[in-house]
Amino acid sequence: MEQLLVPMICKVDKVIQETPDIRTYRLKFREEGMMDQFTYFPGQFVEFSLLGSGECTFCIASSATRKGFFDCSIKKAGVVTADIHTSLEEGDEVGIRGPFGNWFPLDDIKGKNLLFVGGGIGLAPLRSLIQYCTDNRNDYKDFTILYGARTSADMCYKDEIKEWQDNKTLKVVLTIDKPEETWTTNVGVVPKILEEVVKPVIENTMVITCGPPIMIKYTIQSLVKLGFADKDIITTLEMKMQCGLGKCGRCNIGSTYVCKDGPVFTNEQLKNLPDEF
Amino acid sequence: MSVEIFVTDKAGLQKFYEAIMANHETYAPVETFGKFDFKRVARLTECDPESPVAKTRSIKPLFFPRTSRVMKYIATSAGTDVSETDEDPLAVKRVILGAKHCDARALQVLDKVYNWDYIDTDYQKRRENTVIISTRCDKADTHCFCTSLDYDVENLDAMDVLIVNGADGKIYIRAKTEKGAGLLNSEVTRHASPVTEESATPELKKQYDAFAASFRLRMDYAEVNAKLSKIFDTPEFENVSGNCVSCNTCAFVCPTCHCFKISDEKVKDAGVRYKSYDSCNNGYFTLMAGGHNPRPAKYRRWRQRAMHKFVYYKERFGENLCVGCGKCTISCPVNISIFEVVNQVAQ
Repeated sequence: MEQLLVPMICKVDKVIQETPDIRTYRLKFREEGMMDQFTYFPGQFVEFSLLGSGECTFCIASSATRKGFFDCSIKKAGVVTADIHTSLEEGDEVGIRGPFGNWFPLDDIKGKNLLFVGGGIGLAPLRSLIQYCTDNRNDYKDFTILYGARTSADMCYKDEIKEWQDNKTLKVVLTIDKPEETWTTNVGVVPKILEEVVKPVIENTMVITCGPPIMIKYTIQSLVKLGFADKDIITTLEMKMQCGLGKCGRCNIGSTYVCKDGPVFTNEQLKNLPDEF
Repeated sequence: MSVEIFVTDKAGLQKFYEAIMANHETYAPVETFGKFDFKRVARLTECDPESPVAKTRSIKPLFFPRTSRVMKYIATSAGTDVSETDEDPLAVKRVILGAKHCDARALQVLDKVYNWDYIDTDYQKRRENTVIISTRCDKADTHCFCTSLDYDVENLDAMDVLIVNGADGKIYIRAKTEKGAGLLNSEVTRHASPVTEESATPELKKQYDAFAASFRLRMDYAEVNAKLSKIFDTPEFENVSGNCVSCNTCAFVCPTCHCFKISDEKVKDAGVRYKSYDSCNNGYFTLMAGGHNPRPAKYRRWRQRAMHKFVYYKERFGENLCVGCGKCTISCPVNISIFEVVNQVAQ
């Protein structure tokens, strides 16, 4: 066990200040050739150490179809993430363990319409799958991304969203919670925009959603109301984790280990878990 | 494996123990301030292999230490230098004397979680290198309820060598595994004589029946397990957990609690990563950065504790996580008894 808790060293290649409190760290393994061995799928996560400060769980926000690096988007929310924001810069080193957990059901979504519903930092795990799917665009039919944030300044991946908007094969719908002078499109919470603006096709569509717990809750309610089957709604859970190995006991929901059986679950699976997440 | 049973008397057993101590790294219950802890011993006078079950701490720390160093690192101008820590002192060949049946059973239960998916090789090595000698209790303590659970205490196969104080006043020593048989072959033959299974069985049975009759606590495990698995939302968890002071003692003394935390300590440019005991009774156990906590209230944490012991682990790994040793109840500063909790909630 002990040696499984020892991280590999990565170098920060680039820091992108996404919003006032979210930064994306682009990482490369220090050891030559290690990057090629680091195979992962959209939805998986890593244990990220700012050595001396502590270890945190972050999803991988990029897709392995983009070679040579991987991204972690980190919101300043607690003790370690605050340390990361204040002290971790380009050229610095961090410890990485992983990848851990399951991933989005890549086989099940093939040949389907895809609807991504993200809120705030919840776009990070979706971005990994969006990159993966746009890099294999012909495998999917209609492709819709609905993304909401509190304010326009709180939107992550602004440059990449522009790329998505310029891509004629994707439909991108953005929303913010309250009106702003320069904001010309939708205003309102994600579930409302989902029902009133996106009005998704139900048939042959898979929905992948992630965001703050409260947003996920109401989004799933809306999706069910719209007529989506529980097995076609996929989300990824945020839980406190430490080992990532199905041992430390922190991420248990009933007899489920979120770090091993998750973090990706269908709504059908979530309904069978005790209400404790 | 052919069954090997030896019979001896008190003096013979002592000589057997002394022979083991002389030839093997041995751990046995050593008394400190009225409590017995498993420590390294060289002579029988230092320890008491028949220490009372209620006063003896678990053997868990010999397999899952309270704190262990995971790695060291130094940040230099050339980069970060990470190194694993020194040799594992618990991975050497050793013998444990005086382990209680519930303790031995606890390791059997823990094997499941340590050996699924990612294998805990440190734990595995410690297990492989240890011979466990367990004496069957003659009498149950006030808080014991091992015979009420999902395992067969009489025919327990969790130890390598079983010792029973027979009803006829003789002491029976029986190998339960190849490892145990190996130890007996080299150490016991001079101090005890082999007997047939037919002649030993009635004496072992009589001793077990008297032991089984001495239990104050009894429950119908299947019924409790079935009822608990259906009543996640019962308000009864608030009633039973009201007095809890969240001190986590129950988890630290429990032979099967295995939750741990990983923490880093840093002085200047050098640091150490530790793995140490943690408990689901801690308010911060599931607290996430940003403030979201799936178990913000004490009754939710107690529900997790009770359900993990009696429902979840059974569902996942096929064994009840509680072995009925009563250690948590004895150590609890506010007298919460897991036996009463699960029985009251399942009512």
